[in-house]
Amino acid sequence: MNAIADQYAGQNIGSIFLYTLTSMEQKFRHAYDLRDVLGVTRPILVDALDGACHRAYGSMPNMTWIFARSGLIVYKSDWTDAYSVENAIQYFAQIPQRRKAGERLAPFHVERLDYRNQERGQFYKALERNGPKAVEEFRKAFPMG
Amino acid sequence: MKKYMNDLLTRYNYDSFIPEKFEPWMNFASSPKTGTLAPDFPLWELDQAPTRLSEIWSQHDFTIVEFGSFT
Repeated sequence: MNAIADQYAGQNIGSIFLYTLTSMEQKFRHAYDLRDVLGVTRPILVDALDGACHRAYGSMPNMTWIFARSGLIVYKSDWTDAYSVENAIQYFAQIPQRRKAGERLAPFHVERLDYRNQERGQFYKALERNGPKAVEEFRKAFPMG
Repeated sequence: MKKYMNDLLTRYNYDSFIPEKFEPWMNFASSPKTGTLAPDFPLWELDQAPTRLSEIWSQHDFTIVEFGSFT
């Protein structure tokens, strides 16, 4: 996801990480860890203590949404997959150019089932930094990866 | 009201990542639809400066927002 942010930054595409859960003090400390330990290079923002934003958008542990400048929701996924996000952003990035070229574009709805890579080695390696309890709980919660 | 808020904060900021605690919050199916205006919320930058989600999405043609935590 960091690579996608870097790759499309020049095409007027923004990208952030929105930190959810835990107390405000923990939120900020863990948000710093995201940057300093896990190497998230995108701007990191922190949700309210009651998770108002996270809850309004569905409370999934690691979801991704894409918004147009107007606030229009153009993409939502209940799990983050870099291939899916890049595929979507490649499509959206050319919309302004198509409009500038004179195309009259109107939105329409698409439903699609994407497939994510279940290779969790790197994820679990990072999760191990949080201790065996974190790893055990995640494996039990998502035994299929 | 205070009791409700305390209860909400305790249940939302669960101490263990187990289905009994996080599944009740998961409501992606009833979350805002594509093609609609996104609900706006206050957020904070890492230096604790307040901002809003709308301030973020209004800065670029399109903005990717990944939600997650590191516990």
